[in-house]
Amino acid sequence: MPKIRLQSCDNDIFEVDYDVAKCSTTIKTMVDDLGLDDNDDEIVPLPNVNSAILRKVIQWATQHKDDPPPPEDEDNREKRTDDISSWDSDFLKVDQGTLFELILAANYLDIKGLLDVTCKTVANMIKGKTPEEIRKTFNIKNDFTTEEEEQIRRENEWCEDK
Amino acid sequence: MSGQGVVERASAELSKRINGLSLRVGKQHRNLRKAVYITSRPVTWNELLIDEEFLNNFFWYFTPLERSNLARVCTRWKDLLYRNPNFWAGLALCINYKQFRQSTTYEKAKLYASFIKRGFYSLGMIGAKDEDVTDLINYFPLGSKHVHSLILRWCGISDRGLENLIDHLQVLYELEIFCCNDLSEGGLWACLSPKIVSLKLADCINISDEAVGAVAQLLPSLCEFSLQAYHLTDAALGYFTSKQRDCLNILKLHSCWEITNDGIRNVVESLPNLTILSLSGCTKISDDAIEIISESLKKLRSLDLSWCPRITDLALEVIACDMTALQQLSLDRCVNITDIGVGYLSTMPTLKVLFLRWCSQLRDNGVHHLSTMQSLQVLSLAGCPLLTMGGLCSLTQMKNLRELELTNCPATTSELYQYLHEQLPQCLIIE
Repeated sequence: MPKIRLQSCDNDIFEVDYDVAKCSTTIKTMVDDLGLDDNDDEIVPLPNVNSAILRKVIQWATQHKDDPPPPEDEDNREKRTDDISSWDSDFLKVDQGTLFELILAANYLDIKGLLDVTCKTVANMIKGKTPEEIRKTFNIKNDFTTEEEEQIRRENEWCEDK
Repeated sequence: MSGQGVVERASAELSKRINGLSLRVGKQHRNLRKAVYITSRPVTWNELLIDEEFLNNFFWYFTPLERSNLARVCTRWKDLLYRNPNFWAGLALCINYKQFRQSTTYEKAKLYASFIKRGFYSLGMIGAKDEDVTDLINYFPLGSKHVHSLILRWCGISDRGLENLIDHLQVLYELEIFCCNDLSEGGLWACLSPKIVSLKLADCINISDEAVGAVAQLLPSLCEFSLQAYHLTDAALGYFTSKQRDCLNILKLHSCWEITNDGIRNVVESLPNLTILSLSGCTKISDDAIEIISESLKKLRSLDLSWCPRITDLALEVIACDMTALQQLSLDRCVNITDIGVGYLSTMPTLKVLFLRWCSQLRDNGVHHLSTMQSLQVLSLAGCPLLTMGGLCSLTQMKNLRELELTNCPATTSELYQYLHEQLPQCLIIE
């Protein structure tokens, strides 16, 4: 089976099966375009993923390498968050910082399945929280003026399911 | 931290790293290309939280109502959410006029503008008075083309106010009026426009028989009519005309305490195409009414007889034998039905949804009958006091069940729930 070498930002090198690495659409496209797989000494640099996170990502991809590709037409449709598999749910029992780094890596490496399950986990984390609590969790600055905040509060507190 | 600053710093950092890497590996050109594949996406958490592509995907993990909370987090999130009407589908903007009345002209215009911007089409007016209607007409001219659905709750609006309001809303298709005690039946006669396809009236003390008269004369396109009026008479149910015969498919008469079997006869004769009928809380109707319904309403898919205590097993026999298209049946609080009646229901091959909440005579035998039903997808036995563990365990035979409600069943234990979860993994069990 062809192997591929991935280099984390802290310069650790991971040798993984191409079948695992291609869970990342970014890596897959690159390999397909540049034909890296015939060249043994090629290394794919991942300048924004540290080795701890890359190790987790590879662990996830190894577990999910045989998953069917996710359906493409899921945009603009509400997604469930209560259907996380027990393996994924155990896998994501990590501290908040690690979870955020995983979501970032999944987005950056374009790993749809991992992005999906990390988004679900983070979404569940902030459901039911107040805007202020969400800002605190995510370290987002409140950039509304007092008047705007009051306006937006009304526009949204007065929303109801029809 | 400003978004721009983050991007600049990150991009400087990146080029440093990319160049470093390229020099080390010594294949500058190729590695630059590799890096380009990867670096067009956000590289820090703060960048990710303002990234349009990421957020537009992330927001779909929430319901529209939850999104209304996310819009309050920061300008970026608000702007992205407000830009896409799909994020707001199914929500109504229900304005509390007691508070809103104090707002400045600017604030009022802004709120109505947010209605348009988010692609809303349902407007709720809570506690509004005639002066608020005048205000709305002045500050929300676009309402005339964008409000498809209007909900009035606890409003002190007069007949005249309602007429002005509905005159203004030129594309109104759905009207719901709840607890507006200054409105009279004369107001309905004056305001109902033939465009209306759905009308719901509840808890308005001055609205009763004549409402049906107005509906029958003025609303030829009505598909759904829901009426809760304690003193509605049998005679009023004879007012429907051939105008409603084809369109009107959904009729809900809730807590119409005076209605008898004669009234039901009047309804079914004029509305033979009903597919959904609710008589919840029409306490005077009895088994004969069910016979009349089964003879006339051949297309009935859903029947709600909750809180109809005169219904007995005889009615269930009629339902099982004659209502061949029925998919959904509610018998909550029908305290006179027993295992025998439920046995009849269990022979219905089309029934998908069955509610038997608080049926106080139902025993295990009835549940054994139910457990043979392969068509059933949703079942509620909430509050049935006589069921035991043995009866409830037989539910595990129902492999097509998607939802099972057992709230307030005294026999349930955590072991039972665990067993049900194991045996029915596809089923949502409401404990």
